[in-house]
Amino acid sequence: MNPYIEVKNLDYSYNNFLALKNISFDVFKGEIIAIIGPNGSGKTTLLKNLIGLYVPTKGEIKISNLKPFAYRKNIAYVPQHFSFDSSTPITVKEFMGLERCSQHSHKPNNISRVLNIVGASKLESKALAALSGGQFQRVMIARALLHEKELLILDEPATGIDMAGEQTIYDLIEKINRERNTTCVIVSHELNIVSKYAKKVLCLNKNMICYGKPEKVINKDTLQEMYGLGVALYHSH
Amino acid sequence: MDLESLYIIAINFMLEIFQYSFMWRAIIAGIFSALLLGSLGVFATTRKMSFMGDGVAHASLAGIALAILLGWAPMFVAIIFAIFIAILIYILEKKSNLSADMAISIIFTGGMALGILFLSYYQGYQPELISYLFGNILTISNEDLFTVITVSLIILTLLIIFYRRILFSTFDPVGAYLSGLRVFLYDIFLYIAIAIAVIVSIKLVGIVLVSALLVLPSAISKIFSKSFKKLIILASILSIIIVLSGLLISYYLNLPSGSAIVLVGILFFILASLFKVIKTSLNRKNN
Repeated sequence: MNPYIEVKNLDYSYNNFLALKNISFDVFKGEIIAIIGPNGSGKTTLLKNLIGLYVPTKGEIKISNLKPFAYRKNIAYVPQHFSFDSSTPITVKEFMGLERCSQHSHKPNNISRVLNIVGASKLESKALAALSGGQFQRVMIARALLHEKELLILDEPATGIDMAGEQTIYDLIEKINRERNTTCVIVSHELNIVSKYAKKVLCLNKNMICYGKPEKVINKDTLQEMYGLGVALYHSH
Repeated sequence: MDLESLYIIAINFMLEIFQYSFMWRAIIAGIFSALLLGSLGVFATTRKMSFMGDGVAHASLAGIALAILLGWAPMFVAIIFAIFIAILIYILEKKSNLSADMAISIIFTGGMALGILFLSYYQGYQPELISYLFGNILTISNEDLFTVITVSLIILTLLIIFYRRILFSTFDPVGAYLSGLRVFLYDIFLYIAIAIAVIVSIKLVGIVLVSALLVLPSAISKIFSKSFKKLIILASILSIIIVLSGLLISYYLNLPSGSAIVLVGILFFILASLFKVIKTSLNRKNN
């Protein structure tokens, strides 16, 4: 079986600063992979290369045998922070309907359906600025569902959400992956979550420290290499 | 004098304004400029680029001064110059490490400096220049009116056709890119449209004050709107009300049109903000 995502010898630098060095990995269709690493390790930069927003300085990325720019219509991206002018009165329904102008047209009632799937049916007419962090992430995931995209890329989807909310968000991602065979690439800091949901883990600190099954690659040595001294892994008995 | 006579005098006084062709030109130009600036202002404020209107208006002094010096049509030269400025601001913002306000500040002051330099070569008093700086409804010619109407109809038609795409690119550029839109095209359109809208409104409000019309209707409408669609409609209507009220006040009280229009807008903004404060405190009390 050919890999769905192929990243080969990827380097990315900006302003003479090397942000990613020699990254290579494959992802197969329908897998959930997690990217972990300390702050400034290049996780978001890697995601932006994957969606074609950044162009690799060296090496290449192919998704379904296409460059990310050519494949971008099949990618849904949930950023870590979605910044917008909070005084702008845009409703959840208007926000969800923005993409109607592109080729991925959808019926307005589909918005209600996907909001219902993520448990946010009551938010449809609410102002986007009035949503809590958890509600906002649900809306972002609902928007990704709306167009039934092949690849879902999420940058710390549970940032600012409490433990219960975090669990719900990841359960939702797993459900989407299971039911639609959507490939998911998730950046996360939560090692427990990563171990539970991801099939493979990519450990990053500018260069690739490890890539493989969570139970094999998440250990004391890789954590110390990524995060530095003083990091240890505790197992509950 | 009986009541009927007083009534007739008052009506005549009110209708006097419509006897003058310059007032008709100002009113029609005002309505089109207001529609343009009101609707585009919503996108400008949402993108946090309100300062761009100011930058383009001030920088256009270079184009206007050059046209006056060479005896060319100032409005036409200013429009061409503004398109160039808009593209330059866009390139500086996107392709350099400069922030939007830094890029605009450089072009703003550069254009003003160039304009003052050109004017230093002009011998004698230049009344037309004063009308560009502070606005003067008496100077709006038939050619100006034709330009305002044509430009407004083109920009408003494009804005209606591409409304959703421009909104998508404004509100969520990454999402718009992933949906397949060529975001830079809509960005450039918006930059150029704002620049042209500012220029065609300069004779009405003046270089110094024109950007207020880009910001005030949108700022007031945000207080009352619950959706973006309502916001853009309300801002456009409010912009027309502000311009027409300002024009009437300027005529009857013999005030400069630019000042009157902007001060009416600011008065509306203060009243709207007070309404919001009172409504919020009443709601808190009731809860």
